[in-house]
Amino acid sequence: MFQNRAEALALALPAAVFAAIVFLVPVVIVLAEGFRSPAGWTFSAYTDFFSEPLNRLVLLRTFKLGLAVTIVSAVIGYAAAFAIVNLSASGKGRMIGLISLPLMISPVARTYAWIVILGRTGIVNQALQAVGLSDEPIRLLFTETAVFIGLLQLFLPLMILSLISALENMPKDAILAARVLGANWFQVFWKVILPLTREGLVVGGTLVFTGSLTAYITPAILGGSKVLMLETLLFQRVTVANDFVSASVIAFILITMCFAANLLLKRLATARNKR
Amino acid sequence: MHKKLLAASVFWLVGGTLAAAQEQTLTISVYGFAQDEFSEALYKPFEAECGCKLVVETGNSIERLAKLDANKDAPVIDMAVFSLADALAASRKGLTEKLDTAKLSNHAKLYDFAKDPNGDGMSVGYTFYKTGIAYRTDKMKVESWADLLKDEYVGHVALPNITTNQGGPVLSMIGKALGKDRPDLKDAMAAVGEKRDEFVTFYVKSSQLVQLMQQEEIWAAPMGHFSWAGISKLDLPVGWATTKEGDAGDMNAMVLVKGSKNQDLALKFMDFWLSTPIQTKIAEMLIDSPANKEVVLAPEIAEKLTYGADVANKLTFLPAATTLDYREKWLAEWNTTIAQ
Repeated sequence: MFQNRAEALALALPAAVFAAIVFLVPVVIVLAEGFRSPAGWTFSAYTDFFSEPLNRLVLLRTFKLGLAVTIVSAVIGYAAAFAIVNLSASGKGRMIGLISLPLMISPVARTYAWIVILGRTGIVNQALQAVGLSDEPIRLLFTETAVFIGLLQLFLPLMILSLISALENMPKDAILAARVLGANWFQVFWKVILPLTREGLVVGGTLVFTGSLTAYITPAILGGSKVLMLETLLFQRVTVANDFVSASVIAFILITMCFAANLLLKRLATARNKR
Repeated sequence: MHKKLLAASVFWLVGGTLAAAQEQTLTISVYGFAQDEFSEALYKPFEAECGCKLVVETGNSIERLAKLDANKDAPVIDMAVFSLADALAASRKGLTEKLDTAKLSNHAKLYDFAKDPNGDGMSVGYTFYKTGIAYRTDKMKVESWADLLKDEYVGHVALPNITTNQGGPVLSMIGKALGKDRPDLKDAMAAVGEKRDEFVTFYVKSSQLVQLMQQEEIWAAPMGHFSWAGISKLDLPVGWATTKEGDAGDMNAMVLVKGSKNQDLALKFMDFWLSTPIQTKIAEMLIDSPANKEVVLAPEIAEKLTYGADVANKLTFLPAATTLDYREKWLAEWNTTIAQ
């Protein structure tokens, strides 16, 4: 498209400079705080953080929840995306519109809606009682399950949209060809669809995992503060303890986990492709 | 061409200097809520009186503290408001200036506890509020803060998270009710921790409470009185508990930033804010309860605020020094016994 690389780079330069100034520089300043001490540069804030058993527990819990949300959203996302790409053009447009709609609503409003749905008098408890699965309202709100449901609903649209775009770019006859050659549906998914849509899975997976890891309001409100997560811990360090050093350590861990997830997903996708 | 440019620069420079001389600017940093009302009741009338311009920055107490600390060599903010603990933190960090109360003509009109709330001469209270228990009068009886821990009620109670402004005072009142009122709040936290799974939630936003009460998710919750208006409007039998330990009190205070260039103007602004007509107007808008004891309010307004000497004298204020010295320990204790 461009005559030479220099031309392309020149066009990308303003956006790159803007991103560097308003994003990269502040992030570096915040992260540098975690390595600074009156005596000079040090890792002591990190060793202090990891020597605390509670912090390790919270880190593991945050990771596990992020992973669970990502895996479940990938499973539901593939099914939904597959159904949607096979609709007529107008049906597809309508469905994509419906999926995108929640993204336009504030996460706070969406989280409050879950308080109504999962409450003692909410629709879930009413349904459970109506079908005789429970005699009295079950406590669903303010549990780890509620946080999981809230996060899944928050980020599932991102996975579905990424997978729709990947499935649309896949050659339509690939599935048919695999079926004709005798592959069952599992083999079709594992050997044809997954390798051909890996880019979408990497993008969706990164967005969902990163989002789940860093969401604050959903775990804080739906978890009822009984379940500490890394992001709630970070909030505590800043607002109560006024301790920006530990907060910077937590921020660094969160950013590292996000990058690691992205690299890992990419690696998995490429490895599958080479086989 | 050069001459024209030079002339334009000189004109711009002189013009700018003249404009600055004509209009002095005061930069204040306050909480972000009800800014339209504050603008109408406080900012615009002050600008009209002083012929100056107010620049209003908003944010929470911690953000303000961090900003003051970052800019301490060249302060941009002249006057700020804080929670009492953060006002003390700012004072300990040397970020605030001693207040010359002789320049505050309305100082004598304040309740005694608001005149110098931290006892260091660095701040003055401009509003206070009570933290008590709102509860369903048809479902339970609340005569003591310890009633919240009773087996028959605890599954219907929400407590504030330690990260909220109400967290410390509420645990302190529970400790008081249990006869174990210690500044480290260890006993109160142990008692709450024992029943952590039974409490409905440890809320982080008081705005949640209206919804939880309406959905009958909770029957009772300790809260700042500023949340009472929303609760009392519900079509439910709710009341504000009269406990034998009384309510907890908290206050917001004004400080003067050290090294600010507009200290006299900042003091004028503080005095204006503390004056009887302005405090009355802000109270009538149901924004802040008045710290000025000369404010007279209609009964229907008064009941919605923390108002009057009788109410004020019965409040238990947690000393800011206790909050500041212990909040790290509270947090660690909270995370091990309650949040986990």
